[in-house]
Amino acid sequence: MNVTSKEQARKRTQMLVELRKQHDAQVKQAQERLKEQQTIRKTLQRAMQGAPRSVPQLAAITNLAAYEVLWHIAAMKKYGVVEEAGMDTGGEYYLYELSKEAKG
Amino acid sequence: MAADRLQVDTIVIGGGIAGMQAALDLADQGYRVALVEKNPSVGGKMIGLSKVFPTLDCCSCITTPKMAAVAYHDNIDLLTYSEVQSVSRNEQGFVVQVLKKPRYVIDDACTGCRSCELVCPLDLPDDANEFGRTAHRVIYVPFTTAVPQKALIDIDQCVFCGKCLQACPSDAIDFSQLPAFLEIQARSIILATGYQVTRYDAKKQYGAGKLRNVIDGLMMERLLAPTGPYGRVLRPSDGKQPASIAYVQCAGSRDETLGVPYCSRVCCMYAIKQAMLLSGMLPLADITIYYMDIRTFGKGYEQFYRSAQAMGITFVKGKVARITEDADQNPTVRVELIDDHSQVVERKHDLVVLSVGMLPGGDPQALYGVPTSEDGFVRIPNYNVAPATTTQEGVFATGTAIGPMDIVDSIVTASAAAAEVSAYLQSHYAAGSLTDAERSLIHA
Ligand SMILES: Cc1cc2nc3c(=O)[nH]c(=O)nc-3n(C[C@H](O)[C@H](O)[C@H](O)COP(=O)(O)OP(=O)(O)OC[C@H]3O[C@@H](n4cnc5c(N)ncnc54)[C@H](O)[C@@H]3O)c2cc1C
Ligand code: SF4
Repeated sequence: MNVTSKEQARKRTQMLVELRKQHDAQVKQAQERLKEQQTIRKTLQRAMQGAPRSVPQLAAITNLAAYEVLWHIAAMKKYGVVEEAGMDTGGEYYLYELSKEAKG
Repeated sequence: MAADRLQVDTIVIGGGIAGMQAALDLADQGYRVALVEKNPSVGGKMIGLSKVFPTLDCCSCITTPKMAAVAYHDNIDLLTYSEVQSVSRNEQGFVVQVLKKPRYVIDDACTGCRSCELVCPLDLPDDANEFGRTAHRVIYVPFTTAVPQKALIDIDQCVFCGKCLQACPSDAIDFSQLPAFLEIQARSIILATGYQVTRYDAKKQYGAGKLRNVIDGLMMERLLAPTGPYGRVLRPSDGKQPASIAYVQCAGSRDETLGVPYCSRVCCMYAIKQAMLLSGMLPLADITIYYMDIRTFGKGYEQFYRSAQAMGITFVKGKVARITEDADQNPTVRVELIDDHSQVVERKHDLVVLSVGMLPGGDPQALYGVPTSEDGFVRIPNYNVAPATTTQEGVFATGTAIGPMDIVDSIVTASAAAAEVSAYLQSHYAAGSLTDAERSLIHA
């Protein structure tokens, strides 16, 4: 990092600190939401580690409502964390697994 | 990029298919046009549809070229994420104050690369485009074919982590942006503010929006679209692939209890279209349409209906009185079978679609002094002679802002509006009320 980019980075950090102060109550709420979301995502990712799972299976493992699981799966699929992995034996539900990138 | 003050021949309010078509027709004739859209992208409802009846052409493939055309036309100033604040008259027509909401992203710098979106840590329900069924990030480009392809930030949800600032290769993010005001001097106005659908939670008898597997026609359009929330048709309660899908017609039209006595014209046709698409995607599924009567009003539409019957879609004449759900959230429809001695039966489905109707997109009275008809849509006093001319001189209206209609009719009325506006402008300019600046704008 050269001097200018160091200076830029310092200014940027200072600006973000100011913005967080300015929007304090709202930032706290958003941080709560983020924490909760990260916990749910970790639980779902763990549940998919062993084998591909359907939405009802994930709901049963994680104790989340099935509609909520579906929302997280849709979001994770959109951003490349989760992929479809065929259907269950009954042919009713799709199965989901972690994407190669998410598995690391 | 638009300046703080603009002078145009026409300002078009609403960037759906009708507004875009009217703007393009006028711009192609050499008139200067400002197109104001309240959402971050143009396209209106049409860009969210899967395929169009009766041709089953891909909706996005038809809409995106027009969206790009309005963005890049030399004679059009496109103002997205903008809303009209006030309108007043002067000798040259109208002075329109427009508020441009901050995206917190510099329009000219953002390339729509989405690097910011990919590193943003928080997902939010995408209510505007996907009815909350999937997510977008706090900073996001609205959708893949959005025009303009520019990011925006939901500032109220931001944790100011700074990851987007680091990721953006164009230094486009600007947390200090404020709302900007723009004054537009316009000779004429076209209202193309479109429609909204009857709220799917409006009817207590149909579950008042509390039944997860009862959705509306626009939501089904998204499930059918390849770019939709799940990339396939799944029911919202648990992601099951539905094996039995039912449509309830006139769910929000021809219904005095909802204050909507009129027919919305498009619901029969879109239900038939969706049923055909579903039977292609889910060949083993049972698809039933409960209807009072099927109205196939346009060229080739009756043939479309017959094709759906031939494909095995079941049409049941009967009025659905109630929808409830069982313990597995399967919707149960209580219906009187008119062609079967009016017996009342209950039928279980995996997913029910309410064919909701069309309501006016806004009230033009307050800003434009334009009255509405009894149905709430813009009043056109002499529809057979001048289908776009309102009661206010210089103010025109088009598309579903004037009443329920399909895309073909929206485009036809939009071109009619452009023709009427052109005649109006010509009569003004010929009468010599034209300033030198105005004259130089036309046929430049
Ligand atoms: C479920 C469903 C399926 C359909 N399928 C078909 C089909 O297959 N084929 C077909 O022909 N038709 C179909 N239609 C009908 C079709 O959607 C309409 O005919 C068409 O989209 C109308 O376009 P519009 O421009 O008039 O309105 P809209 O698409 O509603 O556009 C209006 C625009 O104005 C903007 N706006 C509103 N108020 C303001 C304001 N105050 N300031 C700035 N901007 C504003 C809105 O954000 C919007 O972008 C369907 C309708 C539904 C509900
Ligand atoms: S704001 Fe920057 S990172 Fe985000 S889409 Fe625009 S150019 Fe890309």
